Amino acid sequence: MSRQWAFYFDTQKCIGCHACVVSCRVRNDVGTKEAKWRRMEHVGEGSFPDYKETSVSMSCFHCATAPCRQVCPTHAIEKRERDGIVTVDQDKCIGCHYCAYACPFGACQYGDDGLLQKCHLCLGEGAGDGHGKPARQKPEDGGATAACVDNCVTEALKAGPINEILREASEEAANRYSESDVGPALVVEPVTQESHDSIETTDPTG
Amino acid sequence: MTGRTEPSTSEGSAPTGGGRVSRRNFLKTSAAAGAAAAVGGSAISTNPDIVAAQEQTDREIVHGNCWISRASCGQAITVEDGRAIDLTGVDGHPKASGGQGREGTLCSKGVAQLDKTYNPNRIRQPYIRKDGELQSASWEEAIEFAAERLEQFREEHGAEKMLRYQGYPLTDTHDKLFQRIYGAAIQVGRKTTCHGPFSDSWGWMGGYGREWPDWQNSEYIIAWGRNPMECFRGQWEPNGILDARKNNDATLVTIDPRYTKTAQKSDRWLPIEPRTDGALALAMGHVIIEEGLYDEEFVENWTYGFEAYRENVEDKTPEWAEEITDIDAEEIREVAIGFARAAPRAIAFPWTGIAYQGNGFKNAQAIHALNGLVGCIDHEGGTRHYRGPSLSDPHAERGIELPDAHEDADLPDYDDYPYQRHIRNYSHNYVPTMVEKGDIKGYVSNWSLPPKSGNTQEWLRALDEMELVIVVDAFWNAVSKRADVVFPDSSQIEQPFLGSGGDSCYPTRTWVTASNAAIDPLWDTKPAFDIYKELAEEMGYGEYFPWDSEEEYLDEKLDAVDMSFDELAEQSYALVDEYGYQQYREDGFNTETGLFQFDLAPNESYAALADELGVSTAPEWQPVDDDIYGETTDDEYPLLFTDVFVEQISRGHCQALPESVEEYLDRYGRAYDDYEGNYLHINPRDARPRNIQTGDMVRVESRDDAIELPAHVYEGVRPGWIATVNGFGEGSVHPEEAGANTMTLNREHHVEPVSGQVDRNHPVEVTKAGGDGA
Ligand code: SF4
Ligand code: SF4
Ligand code: SF4
Ligand code: SF4
Repeated sequence: MSRQWAFYFDTQKCIGCHACVVSCRVRNDVGTKEAKWRRMEHVGEGSFPDYKETSVSMSCFHCATAPCRQVCPTHAIEKRERDGIVTVDQDKCIGCHYCAYACPFGACQYGDDGLLQKCHLCLGEGAGDGHGKPARQKPEDGGATAACVDNCVTEALKAGPINEILREASEEAANRYSESDVGPALVVEPVTQESHDSIETTDPTG
Repeated sequence: MTGRTEPSTSEGSAPTGGGRVSRRNFLKTSAAAGAAAAVGGSAISTNPDIVAAQEQTDREIVHGNCWISRASCGQAITVEDGRAIDLTGVDGHPKASGGQGREGTLCSKGVAQLDKTYNPNRIRQPYIRKDGELQSASWEEAIEFAAERLEQFREEHGAEKMLRYQGYPLTDTHDKLFQRIYGAAIQVGRKTTCHGPFSDSWGWMGGYGREWPDWQNSEYIIAWGRNPMECFRGQWEPNGILDARKNNDATLVTIDPRYTKTAQKSDRWLPIEPRTDGALALAMGHVIIEEGLYDEEFVENWTYGFEAYRENVEDKTPEWAEEITDIDAEEIREVAIGFARAAPRAIAFPWTGIAYQGNGFKNAQAIHALNGLVGCIDHEGGTRHYRGPSLSDPHAERGIELPDAHEDADLPDYDDYPYQRHIRNYSHNYVPTMVEKGDIKGYVSNWSLPPKSGNTQEWLRALDEMELVIVVDAFWNAVSKRADVVFPDSSQIEQPFLGSGGDSCYPTRTWVTASNAAIDPLWDTKPAFDIYKELAEEMGYGEYFPWDSEEEYLDEKLDAVDMSFDELAEQSYALVDEYGYQQYREDGFNTETGLFQFDLAPNESYAALADELGVSTAPEWQPVDDDIYGETTDDEYPLLFTDVFVEQISRGHCQALPESVEEYLDRYGRAYDDYEGNYLHINPRDARPRNIQTGDMVRVESRDDAIELPAHVYEGVRPGWIATVNGFGEGSVHPEEAGANTMTLNREHHVEPVSGQVDRNHPVEVTKAGGDGA
C-alpha cells in the first residue's frame, strides 16, 4: 500500500476556519453554490454548559476499496494503481448518482452538467476528474501541493504517500488506520477515545 | 440634501444584484480585464482545449498583502496572463505564518480575496450626483466635480465641518489631503465603535497605545471576550497559541458566553454571565493577593495605586463573584492561581466582547489590573508592547512642508456628554446630532460603513442631510449609495502596498512588508493613492504630490530602513530592528506617574468624570443599571442580544463575497438554505418556550426597534443570551442586503460613558415571525 496517497487530519489542531474549503474552490475554480469537493463539519455534542464541538475537514478520502467505484455501472471511477487516487472519467460518467449513495462521506458531487466531480487530490486544476493525469510520486509531483493543505492555517491537514503520513502520525492514529486499511485513506488523530467515534457526517445536499 | 436616490441600475457598472455570479463565470466569460462586459448568466466554458491551454501557460508568483481584516498577511499570488488565479501565504511572513521556517497560509477570508477583486458587484467606474441622481462619470469629470464641490463646501461652511470618518485606506494620503491640506479637523475613529473601553483603559493604565499578547511564549492564556482562534489579526495568532500549548504546555482559558473555536481549544471554557467580567476579574485579584501570588517587585517599583486596588478587592471573594458571574467559586480560585503561578508568562487579554459593553471601561480596567498584579506587562509570554520601525515621511524627505489646516479649527464642545471631554474626537453615535446642530455638514471616508456600527437609523438620516458626501470604496452600500461622489478603489492586489509593525510571530523584531500591484486595476478603478493625487492636483495642491507613482512615494518611506520598495516587494517582508522586553525598565510607563496605574486618579480628566459619576478611579465593579452602564433585561425584554465575530466574515466587505458568506453559513450547517444573511444563535432553553426552531424567521425586539432574521438553535450559547454576526442587512455591502443590521436596535444613548464607544448589548424579546424563514 505504499503507493497509496492519503490525507492526515488532526482535530486538535484544526481551528475550523474553512481556509481549506475556500482554497479548494479557488485553486480548482469551482464557484459558490456549485459542487463542494471539500467542506467542514462542526459536530456539536452535549448541552450547555457541557457543550463541545469538533471540527473535521472532509473530502473524498480515496478509499482503498472505494465503495463509489464498486457501484458505478459504467466504470467511470478509477482507483489508480500508481498513487491510489480515486479519479473520475467524466466521458464515461452518466450522472446516475449511484456513487453518491455509496459514498459514506458525501464526497460525490455533481456539476451543472450532472457529472460526478470530487476531490482529485489536486491533480491539476478544474474539472474535478483527475482522469488520465500523471501519478503523484512525491508531495511536490503531479502539480502543486494540494491547495487545501497549502492554506491550512494550523497544519491540521496534510496529504502525502501513506508511509510518509504514518511516519508523522501518532501511534494511536497509525494503529487505527492500519486496522481499517480497506477504508478511507485518512489518518485521523483522535480527539479523545470516546468522542471520536461519534463524529457523524452529513449529506451536504440533504 | 434630502431624498437621495440610489444609483441607477441601468448603468453597465451599477449593482447587478448578481450575488450568484461566481468568479469562475466571471473569469471565463469576460474577455479581458477592464472590459465592462456583461458577466452574469453566460455559459461556463468547460472546453477541454481551454483547460489544457491553461495548464501550459506560463505562470508567475508575485506578492500581495491581504487587507481583508487589515492584518497585511503576505500573499503569494499565482498570476497567469494578467489574471490572479490562486493564492497562499508567504512562508515565514510575520503575519501570515508562525515564524521562520514555517509555511505561510491565508485564512478563509484571505483566500477569498480573489472573490473580492473579481466580484461582479464591484463599483467599476466613478459616479457623481447630478440632479439628485448618482450617474456614472469619467475620472476627469468626477475629479473635477469633487474638487469644485469641496472648494464650494469650504467657502460656505468651513472645512472643519467636513467629517473624516476613519476607514481602512491603503494609503496615508487620504488623511494628508483631507486633514492637513484641506482642513477637515473632525475625525471619528474606531475607538468609539470597536475597542475604546479596552484601549483607553489600557492607555491610561499602561501608557502604551495598545498591548498585544506574546502568544507563543506564554504558559497561561486567558482569552477574555476575544476569540483569537478565529478572529485573529494574521495567522501568527492561532499558530502562536497552538505553539504555546504544544511547546510550553500552556493552559488556555476562554471567558465567553459563547462556545467559540477558542473555547474548543481551551482547557476551560467559562461561559460567564454577560457584562459581569469586572466582578470576575476583581475576585481573581482578591485570590491572587490573598495567596500572596502577586509580583511584589513589579508592584512595588513599577505601579501606582496598588493600595486603592487592594482595598477595592478586599471583600471581593470568589463566592461573591460566583453570585454575579455564575462561575463556580472554586473554578475562579483555580484559574486565578493557575494564572498567577504561570506569571509572568501569562496573559489575560480582553477585546471586543468587553469593549462592546456599557460597563466595558470598568470591566477592562479590572482585567488589565490582573496583568499588572502578576507583572506580565511587556514580558516574554505576557502582554507585549510591540513596536514598529519608524519609516521616513516622503514629504519631509522632499522638504515639502504640509500645512496643518486642521489645527486651529474652531470645534464645538459637547460637555453635557461626559465622554466628549476626553476622547480625542467625537463619538460615532453622536454624529447624527452634530449634523442636526449644523456642526457637521460633510463626510469623506475610505472603505467605511458607519451605519452598521451604531445608531443606524439616525446615521442614515444624517448621511441624507449632509451637503457633501465623498467616498472611496469598492462596493455599493448605505454610504456609497448616498454619496455625491463615488471613487471606485482598486482592491489590494491591484495596487502597491507597504505595511509595518507591530504585533507578529517575531516578538522582538520590527518588520516591514510590501507588494507591487499583482494585476492591473480592473474596469475603470484606480488605486487610492492615484485618486488622492489627482484630486489634490485638481484642487491646486499639486505641489504636495510630486511623486509620479505610488511606488516612488513608498520607496521614499523605506529610506529609513535602507531598502528600496522594489527590493522589499520582491521578497515580501523583512525583519528590521531588534528590541527587548520590559521596555518600561528603561523608558518607564508613558503615564502621568511614569508607572503602571492601577488607580487612575492621576488622570485628571478621568478623575473628574469618576467623581461626577460617583465611582472609584481604581478598579471596581459597576453593574449595568439602566442609567449609565447599560440597560438591564426585565420581564418584557428578558434576553440579552449582542453581535459577535466568526472567522469567515470580517466586518468590512466579506458580506459582499459569496465564498465568505457561504462558508459562514456552512459553519452552522446552513449553506444549503436559500438565504445569505446572518443567523440568530439561540439556546434551546430559550427557543423551546417560544416555539422557535432552526430556520424559523424570528423577530428580535428591543425597547427601541426590531429586526428579523432566521434562528439557529444550538447549545453553544448561554441561555438568556442571543447573538449574531454583524455587518449584514440594511445598508450592508451584501448585494441584496440579506440578513439583519443589528445596529438598527442601537440609539445615540447606547454608549459606554467613559470612551463614548457604542454599547452593543440590548435587552430584547424574541418571537417567531411566522413561516419558514430560511
Ligand atoms: S470517499 Fe467516497 S467518493 Fe471518495 S473514494 Fe471513498 S467512497 Fe469514493
Ligand atoms: S486535495 Fe485539492 S481537490 Fe482535494 S479537497 Fe484539497 S484542494 Fe480540493
Ligand atoms: S484550514 Fe486547516 S485549520 Fe482551517 S478548517 Fe481547514 S483543516 Fe481546519
Ligand atoms: S488574517 Fe486573514 S483576512 Fe486578515 S489579513 Fe490575514 S489573511 Fe487576510
